[in-house]
Amino acid sequence: MNWLDWIVLLLTLVLIVGYGIYQSKRDRTISSYLLADRSLPWYHITLSVMATQASAITFLSAPGQAYTDGMRFVQFYFGLPLAMVVLCITFVPKFHNLNLVTAYEFLEKRFDLRTRGLTSFLFLLQRALSTGLSIYAPALILSSILGWDILHTNILSGSAVLLYTVIGGARALSYTHLLQMGIVTLGMVAAGYMVVRMLPPQVSFTDALHVAGKMGKTNAIDFTFDLSNRYNVWSGLIGGFFLQLSYFGTDQSQVGRYLTGSTVGQSRLGLAMNGLLKIPMQFLILLVGALVFAFYQFETPPLHFDRLPVQKIQGTEFSGAYKLLEEKHEELQLAKRAEVIRLDEALDTDDKAAIDASRQVLSAAEKELQQLRSEAGDLLTKATGNATNDVNYIFLRFITDYLPAGLVGLLIAVILLACMGSVASAYQSLASTTIVDFYKRIFAKDKSEQHYVAASRWATLGWGIFCMIVAQYASRFGSMIEAVNVLGSLFYGVILGIFLVAFYFRKIGARAVFLGAVIGEIFVVVSYIRDLTAFLWLNLIGCVLVIAFARIIEWAWPQASKQLTDGE
Amino acid sequence: MIKPEDGLPPFVSSWRQLYILVITVLVLLIALFYWFTVTFE
Repeated sequence: MNWLDWIVLLLTLVLIVGYGIYQSKRDRTISSYLLADRSLPWYHITLSVMATQASAITFLSAPGQAYTDGMRFVQFYFGLPLAMVVLCITFVPKFHNLNLVTAYEFLEKRFDLRTRGLTSFLFLLQRALSTGLSIYAPALILSSILGWDILHTNILSGSAVLLYTVIGGARALSYTHLLQMGIVTLGMVAAGYMVVRMLPPQVSFTDALHVAGKMGKTNAIDFTFDLSNRYNVWSGLIGGFFLQLSYFGTDQSQVGRYLTGSTVGQSRLGLAMNGLLKIPMQFLILLVGALVFAFYQFETPPLHFDRLPVQKIQGTEFSGAYKLLEEKHEELQLAKRAEVIRLDEALDTDDKAAIDASRQVLSAAEKELQQLRSEAGDLLTKATGNATNDVNYIFLRFITDYLPAGLVGLLIAVILLACMGSVASAYQSLASTTIVDFYKRIFAKDKSEQHYVAASRWATLGWGIFCMIVAQYASRFGSMIEAVNVLGSLFYGVILGIFLVAFYFRKIGARAVFLGAVIGEIFVVVSYIRDLTAFLWLNLIGCVLVIAFARIIEWAWPQASKQLTDGE
Repeated sequence: MIKPEDGLPPFVSSWRQLYILVITVLVLLIALFYWFTVTFE
């Protein structure tokens, strides 16, 4: 990064933090601090839920995922619009009419304190661990760019956001989300434009897509029904629906966003617009990754995209073996480039036989390259003693190696801002659940509103520090975007099951749902440990198990259930 | 008094229509991505 990049980066960060503090108001009540007095319009909600969901991982890991695995990850989001519709019809009016601050309050009204406590606890556990991963993503970038230890960059990226979250609460969060999403969109459009512009003159945008496509990177849709396949239309629509419904319906980091809506209608419209915009946005981010892949067919990519382990291996007993792999990689890339040029010519003349022949050659070459990359990763792991996975570095390396000064700073800022958006919501949701569902409900029932506002600020600070500690251990996961979703899938299905019983199974009482949830969670964790199915299906399994066990227990051991009416 | 229609965008006349629009766009996107996959693979 040169001085211009640093100026762009620092100005952007100062602008966001300053704007967040500027939008803060003196919050006298817990509703004002945690829900911005329920006063925000729909576009705040749309952008706020998008900024909360789209962490730095989205912009860092997703293009790398498209580079290595193709664009099939987009199918993961197919259940989201369906989930938005269900939320608008069921969850939003119920939560608004009951005047809730957290989603888990609803469970005590419908069941009992024990069920509320269990669900809040599962949420706190899952959200704190996921937030650690969300902090780790931009810390990784700073570590790579500045050459600092990951501990220091974890602290830096996790604490910048604490400032305006602690001071400004939900209002500051929502206003900064607006600005963050604007800058993020600008940065990603600029990156997409630049990668197309940097292709060789004879290679058009569609040629680049054909090149990426012939090597399996434009595989956006797969209709094959296969339970062991992570991403296909069915796992996205069914498993993804349950994951998104659980995430948006029961995760306080999202519920807290749409409860800031001034009316039920504003919250509904905000979520519906998210349902319309999210998939195209994710597709475009993955498309950038596929285009980066196409770009690297005409330029030699590094064998391993993370610079640090490659520097570390020099001078060790493994350096000779790594050098050999690099030479092989270079040879293979040159041979592949010649074939890619032949493919491009065949595409121009629409010579189908030549296109098919090139595709076969390229497909074999791509497999060989993946094998080399895997061997290089193993060697680096042996040499450094740490597991290495460079998926998260692919887009970052492209940015720093090829993009012009100023734009590098802007894109690094984009990644940091995305982190700040999701981490800020997470800090606040952890604090609101701790204070509203535990502290205020159990430990300090009759204190003043100002006392609870102060306690919320302390809780935000405490959770911020805890999440930074988790971030320190996050490097042990592979692709971070998958790690976050796997973690969510372990808990979301069960939490959703509890809420669905609350909404739709009025005869089931507190005892049955509590025991059903405990048994369901044990089953989900065992299924994951024994690798019985792809992780997206755990959401469906967890949810169905809670409902099924709750029904069986209620049938075998009936208990009168509370009936809830709106406004209760 | 808040009416049920409060917050509806001008291009639909009920919430039901908005939900149908969201699902229709999803179906169209899947069709578009399918075309994209088949065209460039």
